[in-house]
Amino acid sequence: MTTTMRSPGLWTLAWRRLCRDRVGIVSLWVVAFYFGVVLMALGGWLAPDWTREVGVNYAPPTWWMGAQESEDAPAAPTTAQANVVADLYGLQDPLASEFAVMQAAYPNEVGLPPEPPRMQTLPLGGDKWGHDVLTKLIKGSQTSLLVGFVAALVATALGTLFGAVAGYFGRWVDDAFNWLYGVFTAIPYLLLVFAIAAVLQQRGVVTIILILGLTGWTGVFRLVRAEYLKHKSREYVLAAGAIGASNMRRMFVHILPNVSHVILVQLSLNVVGFIKSEVILSFLGFGVPVDVVSWGSMLNEAQNELILGKWWQLAAAGLAMAVLVTAFSMLTDALRDALDPKLKQ
Amino acid sequence: MNTPNSSLLSIRHLQIGFKLHGEPLFSAVSGVSFEVPQRSTVALVGESGSGKSVTALSILGLLPKTITRIDPKSEILWQGQNLLHATQAQLRAVRGKDISIIFQEPMSSLNPVFTVGDQLIEGLRLHLGLSQRQANARAAELLHEVGIPEPVRRMGAYPHQLSGGQQQRVMIAMAIGCEPKLLIADEPTTALDVTIQRQILDLIADLQQRLHMSVLFITHDLTLVGEIADQVVVMKSGLVRETGLVQDLFHAPQDAYTRALLACRPPLHGRPHRLRVIDDFISGGLTPVEGVVGVRPHAGSDPMRGLTPPDDILLDVRDIKKDFCIPHGLWGHRLFHAVKGATFQLARGKTVGIVGESGSGKTTLGLLLMGLHAANGGSALFQGHDLLKPLSSDTLAMKRRIQIVFQNPYASLNPRFTVEQILMEPLMLHGIGKNAAERADLVRQLLLRVGLPVESLYRYPHEFSGGQRQRIAIARCLTVKPEILICDESVSALDVSVQAQVLNLLKDLQDEFHMSYIFISHDLAVVRYMSDQILVMSEGEVVEQGDADTVFDHPQHAYTQKLLAAIPNGVKWGQTPLGV
Amino acid sequence: MIAYLMRRIWQMIPTLLGVVLLVFFLFNWVGGDPAYVLAGKMASPEDIANIRHQLGIDRPLWEQLWIFIRQIVSGDFGDSWSTHEPVSQIFRTRLGPSMTLLIPLMILETAVAVLIALLVSAFRGSLLDRSLMVASTMVMSISLLVYIIVGQYVFASVLGWFPVKGWSQQLSQNLTTYAVLPVLLGLLVSVAPSLRLYRTFILDEVGQDYVRTARAKGVSEMRILWVHVLRNAGIPIVTNLLMGLPALLTGAFLLERFFAIPGIGREIILAVERSDFPIIKAATVYVAMATLVANLLGDMLYRVLDPRVNLD
Repeated sequence: MTTTMRSPGLWTLAWRRLCRDRVGIVSLWVVAFYFGVVLMALGGWLAPDWTREVGVNYAPPTWWMGAQESEDAPAAPTTAQANVVADLYGLQDPLASEFAVMQAAYPNEVGLPPEPPRMQTLPLGGDKWGHDVLTKLIKGSQTSLLVGFVAALVATALGTLFGAVAGYFGRWVDDAFNWLYGVFTAIPYLLLVFAIAAVLQQRGVVTIILILGLTGWTGVFRLVRAEYLKHKSREYVLAAGAIGASNMRRMFVHILPNVSHVILVQLSLNVVGFIKSEVILSFLGFGVPVDVVSWGSMLNEAQNELILGKWWQLAAAGLAMAVLVTAFSMLTDALRDALDPKLKQ
Repeated sequence: MNTPNSSLLSIRHLQIGFKLHGEPLFSAVSGVSFEVPQRSTVALVGESGSGKSVTALSILGLLPKTITRIDPKSEILWQGQNLLHATQAQLRAVRGKDISIIFQEPMSSLNPVFTVGDQLIEGLRLHLGLSQRQANARAAELLHEVGIPEPVRRMGAYPHQLSGGQQQRVMIAMAIGCEPKLLIADEPTTALDVTIQRQILDLIADLQQRLHMSVLFITHDLTLVGEIADQVVVMKSGLVRETGLVQDLFHAPQDAYTRALLACRPPLHGRPHRLRVIDDFISGGLTPVEGVVGVRPHAGSDPMRGLTPPDDILLDVRDIKKDFCIPHGLWGHRLFHAVKGATFQLARGKTVGIVGESGSGKTTLGLLLMGLHAANGGSALFQGHDLLKPLSSDTLAMKRRIQIVFQNPYASLNPRFTVEQILMEPLMLHGIGKNAAERADLVRQLLLRVGLPVESLYRYPHEFSGGQRQRIAIARCLTVKPEILICDESVSALDVSVQAQVLNLLKDLQDEFHMSYIFISHDLAVVRYMSDQILVMSEGEVVEQGDADTVFDHPQHAYTQKLLAAIPNGVKWGQTPLGV
Repeated sequence: MIAYLMRRIWQMIPTLLGVVLLVFFLFNWVGGDPAYVLAGKMASPEDIANIRHQLGIDRPLWEQLWIFIRQIVSGDFGDSWSTHEPVSQIFRTRLGPSMTLLIPLMILETAVAVLIALLVSAFRGSLLDRSLMVASTMVMSISLLVYIIVGQYVFASVLGWFPVKGWSQQLSQNLTTYAVLPVLLGLLVSVAPSLRLYRTFILDEVGQDYVRTARAKGVSEMRILWVHVLRNAGIPIVTNLLMGLPALLTGAFLLERFFAIPGIGREIILAVERSDFPIIKAATVYVAMATLVANLLGDMLYRVLDPRVNLD
């Protein structure tokens, strides 16, 4: 090691600990995959339009029909289908050469119809109107993850700011914020969210982000305040005061990095919590508007479909959510372990 | 008496390592052998990281199983049985009955939600099969035996209702309940005040005689050993450095490390100009402390002690007071007088020492002068400005000329800053130095001055030992060129050998920069070594103050006399007091 | 003790006032004019003015606040906007079913969670511990919605083990037939978080010095866990349980809605769907009061159970 090289800081060490945690790394990849998909959907490269009715009503999943071998198994795929698939996902069709052969064999079916024929099966099935469940799932992930993540950012930022100010300054400032905290926590969280949802007439993604974000800061506040109370009388902060560091500098340059692990873990917990809340709200119809698809609205449709034996939309939305939430929760646990300042390298 | 046959416990080739998940094996004890004879006291002495506590805990199998790796060739022989191979049931039969143990923190070692009586009775019923009534009677008897007043009433008390000393007495009562043959005492007095420490030491020595048991006494403090032990085992870094009878060890220590340990404690009587440090002994010959450049003051030219008329008075503190409000009753408050009025003067280049036990108000006094607490009365004139008055811009500038070095070296440096950032910050905030290059140069000089290599600049605090961290903290203070340095128990958390190095550094810096020190400590020997004047505090009050040598040699107040008498000084057989 | 109680009750007043203000602010200021909701789409301006007068929202804000406070103190929130049933009667009759569902759920949840937590902490870091923790994370990650939809379909509709939905007048029949499936499904979701929480409580205690002391006395591992550790870890568990009660009251709304159990949670959902403000307002204020009282009781209980806490 050269003498001028900087030693690894606490963040680097935490990152190395995280890398040693196999479960944590796998979870990180899963979460990163979801974020990747959502970013691509946001950019319009993936699942641009979920409202197109591309399949027959309640089109079953392709692989399910193959396994069923029912009497009305779908005929050989048409060129139109191949085109649609390529359109929908922006993916190269690996079977294109075979389709070319088929085109030659069945020249009569090549003619372009005015409207592409509805497909008998879809990769993950279709819903009541024949919307593609996979497209809806990607769009739904985009809504749910975006709501969860942005609301968590808002709530965590608010909680951190309030907690830092209350814990650091103490006295009447602390009393005031504690009062606010007492008021917000006296009302059970979901009840408060319902009350606000009942009052606000217009539904929308921004509305629900604001509802969740403005009510969800209390958990972060409590922990950050406690940390600031503890740290402000730590010797390193007192010493910073003695050499003339201002209050702002002590709060944000000295203490904040030392409590950031608490904030990061809370952020991650909040994302999971808000995704769950969004799903419940949208399921009940208090969340996103009808023209936006989310995991919650998918589950809402799915409960009626299940009675008819059409289980695929339920499975898709339920599983997508479960995998993300599991991965996120395990990532949170791994983060907590990796960032724990009590553990030496 | 030292033949294997007569020994109660023999430890042979003990090797213990710890294996944390995904980490390499960390060796804590690497091949330790010693014997504990019948009816005698063996002291296991070593600094932190020497493996002494690990050795003690391994005897009763109390190390956390999942991470402990004990070498299969190791032996802990107890009555012909190797305890390392004993089953859980066999171990449980020995624990608390034949071998008992008491720990450093009596408060946390007692279960907080059970009464003292319940906890005493548990072991008695388990090992002796006593009925509830018999056990009750025996428990009260035991409490009486360890000197707890009103034992029957105390049976119903919860641990937190007792003082620290009494808690340790209860622990001892629990330990001797089944009349064990061996009592392991793991730093039993380290968490206690010096006067309480004296009482507990006397109690253990007395019980050892009366109950005909052996005691394995684990401590970091060699001076205690002289009082209590028959034999001493000195450990360092998981190895035994020296074993011998206590007289031999004190009079003619064989090992360089033992010699160094004996020499580096400041003596209570007499006052050397410098303390000797481990390196003086290990490397042979008296070489300067590693890395320390700068001029060493001429040996022997000990400056005048106390206040002498030509001294320039820097800080004049008069009747400073501090009360804390404690909520009490319905809406009421109760005043707790933390500092009940202290008056003293601090001269340039001199040191005022403040000694007292926990709760005496000595730390509060330091924080008052730093402006970290608001005083309730009195004045503190620092070159004409009253530090206790509300802040104005020029008093703010004055305040920077008073700096503080805290006790806990692990909490006093921001763990997210590199050493460079830590030392740069004050320079940037106050615009010291013309440009970045000049500042970097200043930082380098300071670092060298406190005895750390330049490479340290790019490291984070967690990479340094306790002593090195205190050096960094001192360097940070020096950046703003303070005139007064408050040392609040600054060396108390350090091992004695490191303590000596830091004390020497502080002395050198004082001579070089003509700083004045306010030196706060519970350790009388250290305060005497450092101070010109001394304030003795007890329960917020200054009970005695004056010239350091006078206060120590001719204490007037009863409390000072009690404090001085309680200090262990290694005297058991009428030897001459320890010292250089 | 009395002094502490008095002080705590005194401290509750500003919080309660804050809750009242928050609810008032929400419904009378943020919410806009409820008259348009009530009057329906084809309302004439006269109709709306009429309704506004009836609701009292044509008066100044401070007067409306005074009416609201009077409503809270008297417990009379008027009638529901949609069913015209008195609000107080709605809450009285809906409390029973909610309790029938929640009390068994809570008892089972606590018993199961504490048992597993003790078991797991005895084998801390072992494969059993880790796999149980991973399993609980996964179980927690599936939305309660999915459990209910699938559970109701499989066990009630397809297998017919339980009634799909419904409620009777008799407590015994409710407990043995109608509440069973909802309680079991609720258990599936609520055990995992409690288990994780209690596990940390217990592990905190297992690491304490007094456990080492007990071990050094020769006490068996079972006794250490069941006597020494549980007596300490039980304190936060019990108080936590008590303080969580009011939130539970509203937390079971999904179960109540799916299984058509006429409880408070379902009533709140219906009220939100119908913009039935009096019910939501009353529910918010009274549940907040219940939360404050439960917090107070939890605090008192903590002080009684933990000898370290000073009682004055």
